[in-house]
Amino acid sequence: MAERFKGKLEQMDANRWRIPRESYPGMRVDGIIYANDELIGDVISGGGPVQVANVATLPGIVTASLAMPDIHWGYGFCIGGVAAMDVEAGGVVSPGGVGYDINCGVRLVRSDIPAEEVRCRIKELVDQLFRDLPMGVGVGGPFQFARQEMKRILADGARYIVAKGLGTDQDLAATESGGCLPDADPEAVSGEAYKRGADQCGTLGSGNHFTETQYVETVYDRQAAEAMGLKEGNAAFMIHCGSRGLGHQVCDDYIRALRSVPDKYGIRLPDRQLVCAPVDSDPGRQYLGAMRAAANFAWANRQLLVYQLRKSLERFFGRPAEALGLRQVYDVAHNIAKIETHTVDGRRMRLCVHRKGATRAFPPGHEELPAIYRDIGQPVLIPGDMGRASYVLVGTQEAMKQAFGSTCHGAGRVLSRQAAIAKARGRRIEAELAAAGVIARARGRTSLAEEQPEAYKDVEAVVRCVVDAGLSRKVARLRPMGVIKG
Amino acid sequence: MEWKGNRNLLMAKRCRTFGHTADMGLEAHADTLGELLEALGEGLAGVICPRAQVAARQTRDLEVSSEDPEALLVEYLSAILNVIEADRFAVRTVSVVAADQGSVKACLSGEPLDPARHEILREVKAVTYHQTKIAREGGQWIGRVILDV
Repeated sequence: MAERFKGKLEQMDANRWRIPRESYPGMRVDGIIYANDELIGDVISGGGPVQVANVATLPGIVTASLAMPDIHWGYGFCIGGVAAMDVEAGGVVSPGGVGYDINCGVRLVRSDIPAEEVRCRIKELVDQLFRDLPMGVGVGGPFQFARQEMKRILADGARYIVAKGLGTDQDLAATESGGCLPDADPEAVSGEAYKRGADQCGTLGSGNHFTETQYVETVYDRQAAEAMGLKEGNAAFMIHCGSRGLGHQVCDDYIRALRSVPDKYGIRLPDRQLVCAPVDSDPGRQYLGAMRAAANFAWANRQLLVYQLRKSLERFFGRPAEALGLRQVYDVAHNIAKIETHTVDGRRMRLCVHRKGATRAFPPGHEELPAIYRDIGQPVLIPGDMGRASYVLVGTQEAMKQAFGSTCHGAGRVLSRQAAIAKARGRRIEAELAAAGVIARARGRTSLAEEQPEAYKDVEAVVRCVVDAGLSRKVARLRPMGVIKG
Repeated sequence: MEWKGNRNLLMAKRCRTFGHTADMGLEAHADTLGELLEALGEGLAGVICPRAQVAARQTRDLEVSSEDPEALLVEYLSAILNVIEADRFAVRTVSVVAADQGSVKACLSGEPLDPARHEILREVKAVTYHQTKIAREGGQWIGRVILDV
């Protein structure tokens, strides 16, 4: 049962609520939760605010412990949590601030295919993708990598896959961090993690992961949409997936390995899942090395999935990928910790920024953006539930000022999987989605029930909140036509 | 909390699942610590693959120790999860050979995962420490754990 928040919550403005640092013992900074009137009720009744307060106790935390409006209860950090730690001041890194699915993220591919051409054959397309893309629990993929090659993948991420001819340089340019975090340490990843990920590179997995065939319904920002190649009425393809069993095991290994570290550094934790180590310490560096390796595995995974997607679409439409206009828009990570430089109170600071269920949202002009996006800002991909809509946004200067260049990541769950299954009893979710124009196929018996639209917040409210707060700007709204899940 | 019995149970010990926003919880009650750990181990196995579909053709032994009971519970269930996920081994029963609040030795019976015969219900990413409980209350052992699925 979620621990209901009993502390003080002060409304700062229409989109932000503060938990004053005096609310809970040990808070070093305030907590700030992004939520509007539509969302605040669910926020208060969930356990997220308590976790925001807990994170505010971590050493080195700067400015505030933040939560995006898709906040919900997680492990240690809430989902939607953002926290930046001052590396030079003994700031910590916490595996709970990244999550078990390291570098879970989203990739979007645009096309020149008119939505009508897809819609009239959507069932066949969904069936084709269902056959061609490996998904589902315990389902391995066609790409098998021996241990030495896996280590290369963990070191080089999507770059290694592209170097093998399974992608393009444009894919890498249109991926956060170029699809590879430097200073990854494949040797810091356990044998069990390698085993769990052995045949999973290039597989979708299950749960809330999916490949969705969409169309661009509305363009809000013509200049940004043009830079991204998004045109109203054209099809697009979105993939949501992470580091699979390898990443899960890395997180598990380091939550265990770091268990005794807080005591050694005199850190008192309000929650065991907030286990951590100073960034500038051997255990901290080891975790970061392993986390980066797992993040690189996730980017390699999504690169292979896009490769397989392109091949499948070529087969289906009988035209090469170039003729279909298949080009990657962007790839974002929404469970990750990165060392970034930010300006805080006029001072440039080197921070360890945790984004757990939150997306980087860098503004126009940022040096990390590829040239094609330097004028408009970093694309931000926000998947909604499978019945409603997804959004493409861009980052803003306000996001840098308020939230270390961060924004939301999705719709956020409101129902447990068990409650969703109970709600689905006597109903045919697949038929309901079809009636709403969405063809869905899932491998798992309860996948569609667990992932039904009612299990999630309305992404419109979440996006409205981050846009009204200035963290992001809307570029386009995408609607689903077909979805495949494990 | 509403009782939702695990229909995959083959044992007398009681283990049920409960909801958690994005994930799933397991709760069990038993007369002894060993039985509690067996119930939770089999509960974990059952949320991944219905145990009734699994034949006891092979065994896997595991032994874990930890500094406190909650950590031990997480380590023990994580070890079972590792056998299932990394070794692709479907579990039918869990038998605890020896257990105290600092260590547990157990034997898993089952067989290699076969997608043709074993329905994989869901992927469990990890066993978390969140709201973990293992305690003796009112003459019974009670254990709770939340799984990241």
